[in-house]
Amino acid sequence: MSAPSKRHVPLLLGYNKTKAFSRKGDKKAGLNLTSMIDMFTILVVFLLKSYSAEGQLVTVSEALTLPRATSEQRIEMKLEIEINREAVVVDGDPVVQVDQQLLSTGGPIPSLVTRLDDHMEYTRQMKGTITEDEQKINIQGDVAIPAVLVQRVMASCSEAGFSLQNLEVIKEEGGRP
Amino acid sequence: MAQGATKRSHRKKHQAELDLLPVMNLFCVIIPFLLLSASFLEITTITMSQTQGINPSAGGAVTDLAKSEEERVQAKVVMTDQELFVGTAFGLTSVGRSFQVRDNGETYATFDFDQLEQMAGEMRDTLMNHYDIEFRKIVVLTTETMRYENVIRAIDAVGKVGFTEPGLQVAPSGSVEGEAERGLQ
Repeated sequence: MSAPSKRHVPLLLGYNKTKAFSRKGDKKAGLNLTSMIDMFTILVVFLLKSYSAEGQLVTVSEALTLPRATSEQRIEMKLEIEINREAVVVDGDPVVQVDQQLLSTGGPIPSLVTRLDDHMEYTRQMKGTITEDEQKINIQGDVAIPAVLVQRVMASCSEAGFSLQNLEVIKEEGGRP
Repeated sequence: MAQGATKRSHRKKHQAELDLLPVMNLFCVIIPFLLLSASFLEITTITMSQTQGINPSAGGAVTDLAKSEEERVQAKVVMTDQELFVGTAFGLTSVGRSFQVRDNGETYATFDFDQLEQMAGEMRDTLMNHYDIEFRKIVVLTTETMRYENVIRAIDAVGKVGFTEPGLQVAPSGSVEGEAERGLQ
C-alpha cells in the first residue's frame, strides 16, 4: 500500500475561501496591493509621458556613438549617411572604407558622389522633379571621427545635389527653442 | 434594560473592498508594452549651412561688396589643436586652451565650451547693437584632425546664443593656426 499523501491545501490568499476551510477565528490572508498599484501608476504615467506615438524614425547603428547637443530640431525621414570609424555607409551599404588615404586629402569622395548621384537620379526618375525636400540628407557621425572626414562627406553630398545637410545628435536637456 | 446591545450592534460589519485584480491585469499589459516601445534617447538634428573655403591669403575676409553685412562681418569660431578662438573677420579673441579628458577609456583633447557660449553671446550682442541686424550665421573653422564631438559641441554652444546657421570649414593645421594668428593681430 502506498503511503497516504499529504492533504493538498490550496493557496487561497483570502479569496474563494469555502466553508470547509473557514473556521471560527481563522484570519483572512490577503495581499495588500495598494502600494503596488501606487508604484504601477507612477510607472505608467512616466512611461506614457516618454512614449512617442510617432516612434523613432531612425535607428542608430551600434558601430557609432552620436554626439550630444541641445538642438530641438526634429529629425525627418531622409536618406541616411553613417560615418563610423571603419566605413562610410549609405542607406545601409558600406560605400567607402575609412583609411589614411581617405583622411589625407580634402574635397568630395568620388565613390560616394557616384552613389549619391545614383540615388538622386533614381528620385528624379520616380518623381519627375527634385524639390527642396529631396535635397535633404541626414548624416550620422561617430564622436571620434576626424573633422576632415565629415567635411569630405558633406562636400560629396553638396556635389551630388544634397544641399541641405542635417547632422544627427542625441538631444541633451537644456535645449534652445 | 441591562440588555444594552441592540440588534444593530450585533450585525457583522462588512468592510468595503475594491477588487484591484482587473487594474493589476491592465497594468501588467500596459507596462511591458510601454517599456518596449518607449525611446529614451531622442535624436534631433543640426542643419548646416553651405560655406566657402577659406582663403588664407585674404585673411578669411570676404571682400565681395554684394554680400550682406552679416557675411562680411563673418562671425567665426576657430579651433586649432591647442586653442579655441571666437571672433569676426576683423579679429579673434582666445576662449581658452585645450585640455585632456578621459571618457570611456579614451583620452582626447577638448575645450571649455561654456566659456565659448558666454563669449559668443557677448560678441553677438555687440554685433547686433552695432549693425542692427539679426546675426545667425557663423563659421566653425577647424583642423582636419579635430574630433567630431568637439565640432558639434562648438556648434551647439554658439547655437544656444543665437548663431543658428552654422557652417563648417576644415583646413590643415598650418592654415588654421595662420588664420588664428592673423585674427589675433
